Amino acid sequence: MANAEQEALELVFKQPTFASRVFSQKTILNTISVVSVFVAWTLLVHFQVYRFSLLPSPVEVLEWGREWVTTKIFWIDAGMTTARVLVGVTAAYVIGIPLGLMIGWKKVFSDLTFPMLEILRPIPAPAYLPIAILLLPWQEASVAFIPFIDALFPVLLNTIIGVKLIDRDYFRAAQCLGSSPRQIFWHVVLPGALPSISSGCAIGMGIGWMGAVVGEMITGKWGLGYRIWESYILIRYPLIIDGMIAIGILGFASSMLIRYLTIRLIPWRRAITESLDESITK
Amino acid sequence: MQFQRKFVNWSLVRKILSMVIFILFWTILVQFIDYFHQIPTPKAVFLAIFELPVPVVLKNIGISFFRVLGGFFVGVLIGFPVGVAIGYSRILNHLIFPSFEMARPIPPIAWIPLTVLFFINFESQAIFLTFYGAFFPIVYNTMGGISEVDICLPRAAMSFGVGKKLMLWKVILPAAMPQVFTGMKLAMGVAWILVVAAEMMSNKGGMGYYVWYNHAVMDYPHVVLAMGIIGLCGAICSVGIGVVGNYFTRWQRLV
Repeated sequence: MANAEQEALELVFKQPTFASRVFSQKTILNTISVVSVFVAWTLLVHFQVYRFSLLPSPVEVLEWGREWVTTKIFWIDAGMTTARVLVGVTAAYVIGIPLGLMIGWKKVFSDLTFPMLEILRPIPAPAYLPIAILLLPWQEASVAFIPFIDALFPVLLNTIIGVKLIDRDYFRAAQCLGSSPRQIFWHVVLPGALPSISSGCAIGMGIGWMGAVVGEMITGKWGLGYRIWESYILIRYPLIIDGMIAIGILGFASSMLIRYLTIRLIPWRRAITESLDESITK
Repeated sequence: MQFQRKFVNWSLVRKILSMVIFILFWTILVQFIDYFHQIPTPKAVFLAIFELPVPVVLKNIGISFFRVLGGFFVGVLIGFPVGVAIGYSRILNHLIFPSFEMARPIPPIAWIPLTVLFFINFESQAIFLTFYGAFFPIVYNTMGGISEVDICLPRAAMSFGVGKKLMLWKVILPAAMPQVFTGMKLAMGVAWILVVAAEMMSNKGGMGYYVWYNHAVMDYPHVVLAMGIIGLCGAICSVGIGVVGNYFTRWQRLV
């Protein structure tokens, strides 16, 4: 009896040792997962299965990548793409967040503006490219229009959802205490919607990267998207994958940065409860 | 309050008014501000409808629909079971999920050069791209839907002695369905973006090509019209998924 009790206590209060954490089932399986992708890739290329013979092996990709990072062109490309994403997505924030707050808060304003936006929403961003080229005569700038369009709708819709999800009692309480509409806006609407705005901003940043790459591939002479397309044409195949990895890392880093910055604004609610994807489509 | 019958639905009036304002705003912008003078007026776009080469456009719509739906259905056929497996089994989750997480930050668009390299003809390239774009939203939302099922539901089923198979089919999957269909809607949006981008970059037909072709011959009213048609196609697909989704989540209306 005493023995069983002790065992149970040990089971509950046993601290996981360092070894048990490192060699846990989860880490082992995760390592297998990641390693097997690279092993499969190497083997498929090595034994020239189907058209894998055309693809570069991971080792080649690594070697080319190491060389590429030291060139000036890489830094210009990366800087160009990042600048476009930042300009486009920031414009989307500046327009999307206030518009979303007003649409979510005031029914009249929503009726007057939202139907129009709903018509524009299903048009995929690359289709805006001819219009962007018309509006912005400098071709390199017109690419920034695509991340703007791409990021605008997730930001806008998440802001609207954020306002709509605020407990009605907060508005009533504020009104009871005699707040002016301006005070309600600054102290109820804006802070209430912040968690949802934060997730909208992160999604917008992620999609913005996609938009910049599309724009650069279709029209553009600089940027990572253009570079991977050029690498295909010039038969520098390893650079395609290096470019993809660079885009992935930069995109991931910028989303993380946005998440980190916005989460600092909402210390009272660390966990963003709203399901991100759900709020886009509603 | 409830007994007062409203004769005028002001909300609807305002919504219609917003359309009118939008078109007026567009006209004024183009007509009176020099910077925008190259953009076609609403009138020009409306008149372009009558000059639309209907057979060509219908053919291009058909081509784009084929590519989108082809990739989308392959995405559902592969993505849904994978999502269920990852969401249901912890071991499979640990085994598969990290490799997906590696690929996720790379936008599907960036795969275009590789797909062009790997697949010989354009149809398979386009279908692979739409498949790839549709795959991740479906997998992630299926997984999320399953992991967020209210724990009380499987517990209740278990206390009634439900077996593993029945649990999956009758409890877990129906409860996860709303989010699965959210994922599908997202996937459809991504698939349309990818198709338009891929078609713009090649000359193998489709609505993206049609937009780019009209841009090349400087026929801007038709560009705007084609954008509208693409938007309409996307909206139709989204509504279609909503209808199918309503059927699969009909239990929600009973609750």
